[in-house]
Amino acid sequence: MRPLAITGLGVASPLGLGWEAFRAGLAAPAGAAFSTTPTSFTAAAHPALRVAEVANFDPRPIVGDKGLRNNDRLTRLLLVAARLGLEHAGLKRAGAFAALGPTEVGVCASTAYGSLEAIHELDVVARLEDPRYLNPARFPNTVINSSVGYVSIWEELRALNATVTNGPTGGLDAFDAASIWIDAGRAKAVLTGGAEAMSEGLWQAFRRLGALDENPEVWAPGDVGSRGLRLGEGACLAVVEDLAAARERGATVLAEVVGYGAAFEPAEDSQPMVHVSAEALTRAVHIAVASVERARVIMAVSGLSGLGVLDEPERAAIAAALGDVPVKKPKAWFGETLGAAGAFGVAAAIEWLSDARAGDCAVVTSVGFYGNASALVVRRPE
Amino acid sequence: MGVVSSVGLGRAPFWQSLVEGRSGTSTIRSFDATRLGRTLAAEVQDFTATDHLTSVESRRAGRCSAFALAAARMAVRDAALPEAALRSERASVVLGTTMGEADICGVLDGRWIHEGPDAMSPRVIPKFAPYLLSMQTAQAFGCRGTVLTLPAACAAGNYAIGYATDLIRAGRADVVITGAAEMLQELQFAGFVRLGAVAPERCQPFDLERLGLIVGEGAGVMVLESEAHAVRRGATALAEVGGYGLACDGFHITRPEPSGAGVIHALREAIRRSGLAAGDVDFINAHGTGTKANDAVESTAVRAVFGERRVPISSIKSLIGHCMGAASAIEAVSCVETIISGIYPPTTGYGSVDPECDLAVVANTAARGRADVVVNHSLAFGGYDAVVLFAKPDHLPSPAAREGVA
Repeated sequence: MRPLAITGLGVASPLGLGWEAFRAGLAAPAGAAFSTTPTSFTAAAHPALRVAEVANFDPRPIVGDKGLRNNDRLTRLLLVAARLGLEHAGLKRAGAFAALGPTEVGVCASTAYGSLEAIHELDVVARLEDPRYLNPARFPNTVINSSVGYVSIWEELRALNATVTNGPTGGLDAFDAASIWIDAGRAKAVLTGGAEAMSEGLWQAFRRLGALDENPEVWAPGDVGSRGLRLGEGACLAVVEDLAAARERGATVLAEVVGYGAAFEPAEDSQPMVHVSAEALTRAVHIAVASVERARVIMAVSGLSGLGVLDEPERAAIAAALGDVPVKKPKAWFGETLGAAGAFGVAAAIEWLSDARAGDCAVVTSVGFYGNASALVVRRPE
Repeated sequence: MGVVSSVGLGRAPFWQSLVEGRSGTSTIRSFDATRLGRTLAAEVQDFTATDHLTSVESRRAGRCSAFALAAARMAVRDAALPEAALRSERASVVLGTTMGEADICGVLDGRWIHEGPDAMSPRVIPKFAPYLLSMQTAQAFGCRGTVLTLPAACAAGNYAIGYATDLIRAGRADVVITGAAEMLQELQFAGFVRLGAVAPERCQPFDLERLGLIVGEGAGVMVLESEAHAVRRGATALAEVGGYGLACDGFHITRPEPSGAGVIHALREAIRRSGLAAGDVDFINAHGTGTKANDAVESTAVRAVFGERRVPISSIKSLIGHCMGAASAIEAVSCVETIISGIYPPTTGYGSVDPECDLAVVANTAARGRADVVVNHSLAFGGYDAVVLFAKPDHLPSPAAREGVA
């Protein structure tokens, strides 16, 4: 892939709103963001289960309060991340374009299960009352691409508008799509990354699957004794641009994206439908690092979540592809954020690379639930 | 190419129905829509998953994935592509949808609402994800390259086909299974009724008396190959993908931007990136939903790009309904059939000219004409505009001759 520059980061995470809050949160010990009392839904019957929410989330100080009434939590998280990211990149100031223009900037973001909250909300009305009472102003939220659509409307991003859905790898895959479209001259800058909102539906589904951490004493992503994940939420959007073009406009380059790989490995019919492939991730990492000098790779920023069935193949793949590099576990700070996870991994990699001495590249890894895997290489700028 | 539609399963029956102007609209069987005051849809009523899927696949796939997989299998067979060619790191799957496995989601939600969250079965939960249609398809054929789902609402098919083309042109894949699938589902249907978008009896694109869309469902899938790969295996190309154009209205979540600037840009880009000029386009497959706003904006865009030249245009949504995420993929198949046959499928229900939509509509019966270059329009929920250009094999200028084309 042609190197991309990351020139801005918009983050709404359990560590707080904004890039500086994210950095400060990562510098503090992991674990502070988790709570047994979610605020976005009631889960009183299961007090042992911890989640990481964007605490006391209020989008109004950042995007104003006009027009937010019918937006769901996912859209609000994305709107905040989008505004913060555009301003961080110097593309917008006080909500108005300060560099480039509406037809030169696009948005491409991932979400894995983005519309569940809205679907459930409308389903309750349709099933318990009457489908004729469905609120048409809320209906668009049931369509998975609507939250990214709202970002395009809110921020006047007219070059392109795309949603990627690929489970936990989507937040990395969105960077690749942005890269392809920038390379093809469809946009000069793309706001890319991912988002996922906490919702009861998501939480109940993972709980019913037995995938959630119920033993807080041993929860540690990537550790053998850890038997469950903790759900998190948030939105992380990076402004990516052609590297040379970003330098030309005098933008601050926070990081470069210099490699990407994706792979799929089918399962045997006798295997369960949910299967995590070490082989796919090994291949994805090999593809991603193909153009990078190996000695420059100094860490893997993993998707390790605490759920053994996901973690074991990922650890094995990282070891097989990268050998003995330190393996970072950002989900220890903010949980499993699914469609946002890859993008949060990129943000964490940028922060951790800033302190690193020898070498300048991190490989961000992610495994999907059905045999797919992706990897992205982030480089600290010179 | 493979198709699952309300007017036929497979290329030949589908195309025959379109040419004959046969409508797929009927009373909905899969749920009771009586209370909504709208009971018609272009529902796929003769589809049995096990006719197309293995028993394991049928057990795992929701209706949307089953549509996708069935259409993909038809497409692979149609391409005479040895399955070994797909069991490769150079084989990818890129599909579009709007809702994905809406039936599985509905089942889980129903159990939760009526019986409590513990009634959601852990055996059923993994069968829901909006991206499963691509995973199930890659699984079925053993594709080992990029597997991706682009949920771009009613432009999803065009987004997927465009992206698949990009993967091939970037040298990342030799062959891509691409297209889109969508299923009719109660909540989605009710939502469109509540938006006031659903017509009571029929969909009449561009007609003065048009009253809205008819919801449809199905899948359209094509096998895209690099030219080198196709030549190497001695395949006959049905058509070539030229360029595609993307734009975003950034205007309103459900209403199209009235000036049509986004559609105009997407259409011009599709033509420019194909190395062609507007004068080269022979036929337009319209988005043509039959709603007041869409058809007016689309007409404005067509006039802006083609000027006085009245390019034949048709909307098969009058026959197969609006298949949402699958629409532009199924219509892409129709575009290629037009290129192969030189037949323009009709827009049925067309009786009176709307001055706002005064276009060269292929009214009520199919017509014959030049069909070397065909464009496929899609305008979607969320302000998405995407246009893909298809051309007769060897008709496009060589890539080197196309300025700024990637």
